[in-house]
Amino acid sequence: MNVLTATDAGLIGCTRCGRVWTPDHAHCERCGATLHKVDKSGLQRVWAWWIAGLIFYIPANLYPMLVTATLGHEQKNTIVGGAMELWRHHNYGVALIIFGASVMIPIGKFIAIAYLALAVGNERRKGGPPHLHLYEVVEFIGRWSMIDVFVVAILSALVQLGFVASIHPGPAAASFALSVAFTMLSAQSFDPRLIWRGPDRVSS
Amino acid sequence: MNDTPETGPAELETSNAPRPIWTRLSVVWIVPLIALLITLGVAWKTVSDRGMLIHINFKDATGVEIGTPLKFRDVDVGKVESVSFTPDLEQVQLGVRIDNEVAPFVDTEAKFWLVRPEVSARGIQNLGTVLSGTYIEGFWNNKPNGQQSMFQGLDKPPISPDPTKGTIIELRAKDAGGIVDGAPVLYHGLTVGHLQNLRLDDDGSGVIVDAFIEAPHNKLLTTQTRFWDTSGFSVKFDTSGLSLDVRSLATLVQGGVEFDTFTSGGGIVENEHAFRLYDGKDTAENSVFQSDVVDPPKYTLLFDDPVQGLEVGSKVQFRGVEAGEVTGLAIKIRKDSTGQSYAQQQLTIALSPDRLGLSRDAGEEAVTQFLQGEIQSGLRARIANIGLLGGTTVIELTDVPDLPDAEMNLDAKPYPTLPTAPAAENDLSKSAQGVFKRIEGLPIEEVMSSAIRTLDSISAVAESEETRKVPGELSGLLEQLKTFTTELNKKDAADKTVAALDRVTEAASSVLEEISGLDETLSSADRAATAIADMPLKDVGDKLDTILASIDQLLNKPGTQDLPQSLNDTLEQTAAILTQLKEANAADKLNQTLDAAQNAADSVSKASDQLPELTQKLQSLVDQAGALVATYGRGSNFSNETLSTLRELRRAISNIGSLARMIERNPQSFILGR
Repeated sequence: MNVLTATDAGLIGCTRCGRVWTPDHAHCERCGATLHKVDKSGLQRVWAWWIAGLIFYIPANLYPMLVTATLGHEQKNTIVGGAMELWRHHNYGVALIIFGASVMIPIGKFIAIAYLALAVGNERRKGGPPHLHLYEVVEFIGRWSMIDVFVVAILSALVQLGFVASIHPGPAAASFALSVAFTMLSAQSFDPRLIWRGPDRVSS
Repeated sequence: MNDTPETGPAELETSNAPRPIWTRLSVVWIVPLIALLITLGVAWKTVSDRGMLIHINFKDATGVEIGTPLKFRDVDVGKVESVSFTPDLEQVQLGVRIDNEVAPFVDTEAKFWLVRPEVSARGIQNLGTVLSGTYIEGFWNNKPNGQQSMFQGLDKPPISPDPTKGTIIELRAKDAGGIVDGAPVLYHGLTVGHLQNLRLDDDGSGVIVDAFIEAPHNKLLTTQTRFWDTSGFSVKFDTSGLSLDVRSLATLVQGGVEFDTFTSGGGIVENEHAFRLYDGKDTAENSVFQSDVVDPPKYTLLFDDPVQGLEVGSKVQFRGVEAGEVTGLAIKIRKDSTGQSYAQQQLTIALSPDRLGLSRDAGEEAVTQFLQGEIQSGLRARIANIGLLGGTTVIELTDVPDLPDAEMNLDAKPYPTLPTAPAAENDLSKSAQGVFKRIEGLPIEEVMSSAIRTLDSISAVAESEETRKVPGELSGLLEQLKTFTTELNKKDAADKTVAALDRVTEAASSVLEEISGLDETLSSADRAATAIADMPLKDVGDKLDTILASIDQLLNKPGTQDLPQSLNDTLEQTAAILTQLKEANAADKLNQTLDAAQNAADSVSKASDQLPELTQKLQSLVDQAGALVATYGRGSNFSNETLSTLRELRRAISNIGSLARMIERNPQSFILGR
C-alpha cells in the first residue's frame, strides 16, 4: 500500500485535529495542541501503562469483587465467580454481560494494545487500515469495562439493608477500576500515526 | 575534472551517541513500578493474614460447607476452607483456617464440636443457627501448649465448654430411670445445671452421667451433698392423703436430678468428683452410705435359713447401728461332703465404713481387716426380726456367743464371705404376739350385748305406755281446773248478793265455816301440786348421770385389761338399776300422784258445785253480813290463792312434760347426760 504520510512529506500532523504543519511549528495553530514528531518513544508510555494495568488486573481477578451479606451469611464473589454464579442461576444475559465487560474486553484490550505496540515496533511489518480499526475499537470499547465497577458501586450504594442484605465492594473493585483506567491510558498513549510507518518509512 | 572531490578526510559517519537508557526511559514507568509494589504488598499482607490451617475430623459434618465459621466464645475466629474425607473415608475432614490471633492457643487441649439447632424438652437451643447455619465451636484455654494441626471433633457438645464456669461431677446410679441427656439438675426446684453424656459404666452394672453445675451454684456442692432422681412424678399415699409431686415439665419428659446437702462437714468438691445418685429424696436423706462412696465394700453371706422378709434394700445392722444394706439376693447350689447338693441363700450386703467406725474413705481392705478382727472375737451375721411386731427383717452383725470359731472366706467370688449364725429368736415379737392373742380373746361381744341390753331397758322406760300417759292425764287435769276457774269467774257474786239480801243472817257463820273448809281443800291441792313438782325424778336422772360418768371414767382408765369386765359389770349394774326403776314402776307412781291430784281437783270441783247454793245462801244473808260481803265481793284472797295454786301446778306439769319429751326424743341423753 502506498500512502503518503505527513512524515514522508516533511510535515507534522496534529494528533488532535489532523492539520499538518511544517516542522517549525511547535503548536498547532488551529487547535493549540502541542505538535509531536512521530517517534517510537511514545511506545514506552504505552507499555508502562499496559504493564501497570496488567499488574492490577491480577488482584482484580483473585480478590472478591462483591461481598454480599444475606441474613448473616456472607458471600464473596470474584468477577469470574460472580459471572458463573449468575450463569448457574440461569441469568445468562447478565452473566454474559458481566463476563464480556469484565473478562473478555479487558483481556482483549491487553492483547490488542500489545499487538499494536509490537506491530508498530516491528519494522518489517506493514501497518495499515486494519491496525487503525483495531486501535479505534480498542479506544472506544475500553471505557465499557468500567461497567462492572459501576455495577458494584451502585449495588453497594443501594443495597444496605443491614442484617437482611447488604453489599460491599471487595478489594477487587478498586484493582479492577485501576486496571481499566491504566489500560485506557495505555491506549491513549499509543500514537496511531505509528501505524502508518511502513518498513521503508521509518526514520530514527 | 574539476569536480575533483575535495581532499580531506571523508566525513565521518557519525551518529549521536545513544543516550543512556535511563534518560530514554519515560517517567511513566514509575506507574507500573508502584502498581507492582502495591500489588505485592497486598498479596504479602493477605498471605501473612491467612492464619494457620488446621484439620478437624468429624464423624458427621451435617450442615458444614466451605465458609462455615469456627467460633470461639461466639466470635468468628476462622473459616472452613475445605471439606474432604480422611484417607479411610470414615470421617469428614474439615480444613479450617484459624485467625493468627488465636492460632497459638489452639493446642493439644483444644476441643471442637458442631453447633446445630436442637429441639428438646428444655426448649429450642441454638436457634440462631437456624438462620446462620451450623457452625463449628471451639474451646481452648489461654495457655499455648504444643501446637497441633490435626484434631478430632467431638460427637456432641461437651457438657461445659469452659470448665471454669462451674463444676463437672459424675453421678452413678443403678439405672438411668428416665434421665436423658440434657436433663436439668435442680436445687430446691431451681435449675442450676444439666446432665450430659449418659453412659453405662465399665462393667455394665450401672450408669454414669456427667453433671455440670453452673457457677455460682457449684459452691453449694460439698462432699456430703446427695443427689437423687426426680424423674417423672411421684405419687404418695399415706395417712395424710394422696400427694402428687411433679417437679417440672422438663423433668417429667426428660427426667432430672435434684441435690441437697443434709449434713454439714463436707469438703470442697473438685471436678470429676463422683456422687451416688439415689432413687428418691427419702432414700437420699436416710441412706447410710456416704454420697461420695461410690463403691461401698461388699460381702457375701450364706444362710441355710430361709431369708423370707429380706429384700434388696433391707438394712444391715452392725451391733444395732444401721451400717449397710442388702444389695443382692440369690440362691446358690452347693455340694456337701457326700456329694449331695443343697441350696443356700446367698445375700450380698454393702457396708458403709463410716458406720463401722472407720474413716469415711476407708477402702475395702480396711473394712475387711476390721471385720476379720471382729469375727475372731465372735462377730457373726444372722437374720433377725426387729420392730415392735417383728415385721422388719434385717441382717444383724453382732456377737453371737457359744459358736465355733469361723473365718472370713477372702477368696470367695465375687465378694468375701462372712460367717453366719442361725436366726435370732425374737422375744419381743413373741410377747407382742401374746398381747394380740389376749386382745383377741377379750369378751368384746359380751360387752356389746350388755350395752345393747342397757340401752334397750332405757328405751323401754322411755317408751312405756305409762310414761306416755303422763302428759295426757295432766292435760285432763288442767282442763278441769280451767273449767273450775271459769265457773268461778262466771259466778256473778255481786248480783246474786243483791238478790239474796233478804236472807237470814244466822246462816252467815256456817257459810264462813264452809268457806274455810274450801280453803283447806284448795291448800291440799296446792300441796299435792308442790309434791308433784318436788318429785325426785330429776334425782333419778342425776343419779343415772353419775353412774354414766363413772362408766366414762372407767372407760378412760388405762387399766385396759380390767376394762371390759368393769364395763360389763357397770353396764350390768346400770341395767339392773334401770330394771329396778322399771320394776319400781316410777311412772306408775307418778301416775298415782297425778291421780291424787286429780282427785283433789275433783273435790275442788265438787266443792265448787256447792258454790251456787252457798251464794244463794249468801244472797239471803247479804244485808246482815255487809262487811263479809265486801270482803267476799272483792274476792281477792280467794281468787289470788287459786291462781297461784294453778301457776304452781302448771309449772310442775311443764317440768314433767319437758322431762317426758326429753326421754321420748333422746333416751340416750337421759342416760348418758349429753
